[in-house]
Amino acid sequence: MSETAAKAPTEAPAKPARRRLLASRLVPYLLFQALIVIATILGLRLLQPSDPEDFALGGFALREDGVTRPVTLPHFTSSRYSLADPPFYTGAFTFQSGDAASGWSVFLPRFSNAVEVAVNGVVVLDSRRDANANRPDRNTPQIAFIPASLLREGGNEITVRLFVWGPLKGFLDTVYVGPDAALRPAYETRTLLFVTLPVVFSAWQAILAVILAIMWLMRRREPVYGVLAVAMVLGVVQAFAQAPVPPATASRLAAVLLASAPIESALVVVFGVLFFGWRWPRYGTLLFVPGILVFVVGLIGGPPLPRILFLVLGIPTVGLCLFLMACVTAAAVVRRQDAASFMIGCAVTIVLVCWIQDMLTVLEIETNDRIFVSRLSYSAMLVAIGAGLTWRFARALNQVDSFAGQLVTRVREAEERLKASFAREEERARAAALANERTRLMRDLHDGLGGQLVSIVALSERGSEGATITDAARAALKDLRLVIDSMDDIGGDLMLALGSWRERATAQLRPHDIALDWRVATPQGLPLHPELRPWHVIQIVRILDEAVTNAAKHAQARHVAVTIETHDGGLGPYGVISVTDDGRGFALAGDCEAAGTGQTARGLRNMRSRAARCGAVLDLSSDASGTRVRLQLPQRFPDSDMAAG
Amino acid sequence: MTEQGETGEAITILLVEDDAPTCWRLQDALVKAGYEVRSAGTLAEARQALGVGAPRVLLTDLRLPDGHGVELIRETRQRFPDTEIMVISALGDEESVISAITVGATGYLLKDAFPTDIATTVRDLVAGHSPISASIARFIVRRTQGVAQNSAEPPPGPALNTARLTPREIDILWGIAKGFSYAEIASHLGLSRQTVPGHIKNIYRKLEVHTRSEAVFEAVQQGLIKL
Repeated sequence: MSETAAKAPTEAPAKPARRRLLASRLVPYLLFQALIVIATILGLRLLQPSDPEDFALGGFALREDGVTRPVTLPHFTSSRYSLADPPFYTGAFTFQSGDAASGWSVFLPRFSNAVEVAVNGVVVLDSRRDANANRPDRNTPQIAFIPASLLREGGNEITVRLFVWGPLKGFLDTVYVGPDAALRPAYETRTLLFVTLPVVFSAWQAILAVILAIMWLMRRREPVYGVLAVAMVLGVVQAFAQAPVPPATASRLAAVLLASAPIESALVVVFGVLFFGWRWPRYGTLLFVPGILVFVVGLIGGPPLPRILFLVLGIPTVGLCLFLMACVTAAAVVRRQDAASFMIGCAVTIVLVCWIQDMLTVLEIETNDRIFVSRLSYSAMLVAIGAGLTWRFARALNQVDSFAGQLVTRVREAEERLKASFAREEERARAAALANERTRLMRDLHDGLGGQLVSIVALSERGSEGATITDAARAALKDLRLVIDSMDDIGGDLMLALGSWRERATAQLRPHDIALDWRVATPQGLPLHPELRPWHVIQIVRILDEAVTNAAKHAQARHVAVTIETHDGGLGPYGVISVTDDGRGFALAGDCEAAGTGQTARGLRNMRSRAARCGAVLDLSSDASGTRVRLQLPQRFPDSDMAAG
Repeated sequence: MTEQGETGEAITILLVEDDAPTCWRLQDALVKAGYEVRSAGTLAEARQALGVGAPRVLLTDLRLPDGHGVELIRETRQRFPDTEIMVISALGDEESVISAITVGATGYLLKDAFPTDIATTVRDLVAGHSPISASIARFIVRRTQGVAQNSAEPPPGPALNTARLTPREIDILWGIAKGFSYAEIASHLGLSRQTVPGHIKNIYRKLEVHTRSEAVFEAVQQGLIKL
């Protein structure tokens, strides 16, 4: 049809390859759409509801404009805008009382716009009371029970007044009169198809509208859902609002209802364009102009102008929109080749075919008892769109799932890498700490034990006396004990290291008959230092060793007192260790023993540098009455050597 | 001058040390102090000497050419409960001293101790005063802390069961570890100075694991093993 022709002037492809691709995709799609067109036409033909032809009344006398003439139903009458003096059909039927058991009914499968049926002069049906039945876009059937008292044996008269309000022509399909049991199935079938089904679809539309509105509210940057929701809301309003029966005055509501179809179709085009990822062109707004025009005219002018405008403007707009939608979906199919665009494309084709069919019916080019199928098939498109959206939603969910899965995997991988690198880093740090500790240990052994052993070797080679060698060896052993002892974990309690040192110092002083006086100001002793490292301990103990050795060797002291106190200068507690002797003092020792001076001076220098390395303050005072070494410990021991080397 | 026991006889000492100069040095110091000293250089010689009769005091090194001193200590402890046992250690390190204590030693002697100190230590031991160093005390108390903290990882060093120690004994060990004298500890804890050595002897006894079955019993008592 026109659709196939429309696809021909597609944009001129720049390259032959692109043209081939276009052809290879477009041609199968168009062929398939042609198949759908044929299937739709066949389907419309085959699915015509069948009526009980046995009870058809064909021959009627029509009195119109004062002229009476015989007509055969179905019959079209001219369009008119006045309800006064409607076309009046008069017919006759024969009633046999033998059939009265089930009761008789009169069945009107299709009429537009409203009928008033009378049997033997008594009105049995007035469709004007049922607003839905009067809508020309619905194919509402009517059935009415004929009271038995009205029926006469033999010939009966039936009259039908057909109310027509333009611009469409009036139409009266064949009237059926017969036993109710015979007529009702046909009535039920038509009701199902043309009344119940639209309601079901409209309900569906309402639900979809709510869902889409929620989607849009949650995802404002995707206006496609909002557009479709508005379209659906309009559709639902159109379906459920009661069209007023002329000459009712509520023409504004009628205007809204009339304008809904073109606006709705324009919105669907907007949806299609956005859904398939195009930008909405600025001039696309023109699509809404007919709908708005119908609406405005409906608000201002009274009937029948809006209805005429709707017929002239609205319905072609719907067709144009459907055609545009078909083009959009075809382009989407070519570009995307996915299920959503394909399904929507098929649905649009079906609706388009139905619209053309309706047009042909309205223009009386095709006679098919004036059954309009556009509204119904529009629902088919909704089904397709709903399915398409669901499909897209499910795919998005799958993508999210797989993305989440990938994310979990990635995070796990990253975590493992991080863990591995952390373990490596930790290992490296531990190795570095170990190497550091080893270096310090080596230096400590070298400083103390190594030198002493070398001096033992030198003394033995020179054939020195046993006592000198013994002293050197004892010093070496003492230093070894110190190093081993300091390796022990003392948990930051320097008192534990001093406890061992007290034993060694006591043992060292005993042969010299020097008493070691140990005074601890508090039972706790010194504050705890969690940051205390073995090398701090070694430095401190060596300082104390030096002080005690000086007292024993050079000062000829009788008493050595070690005092341990804790002070608090306001910034936290700090310990002070003092070693006091009652010997001759340093200056005096320097005067008397020239040989000892160099050694003592070196010893003092060593003590100061050791104190500096642990951040401690060394205070030395010496006079003839004795020597006092005061070591003020830091509040916090330094992490690294403060004066390395 | 001859050191005599309660019975008036000379105190006999079995000295087990494989290093000859050290052995001579210790022997000289002890003999000079009046003790009767027999010496052995190997585990076999020591066992032979024990076969002759129980010494009052056993002084033994741990590393012997034909075995470990710990075996000798355990055997002696079982055969002669009255014999005082001391381990001879070069550095007085916790490893060797504690392992000796757990099999029944009640003291240790440093190899380089001055002769007078050697004699004094043995005399004190016979008098019932077990010597204990600050570093040994430190090792024990740190072990009690490890138990209290329920650390999953056992601390390094020989296995040591400190659960039977009373809080008071642990306080005494803390005092020793921090270098306080017995008198200072006694005054801090409100004890009599004379009772401190007795506490220390008790500590040694409590740390001793007599037999394997006893060890298992102890473990069950403390909930270390669930039956």
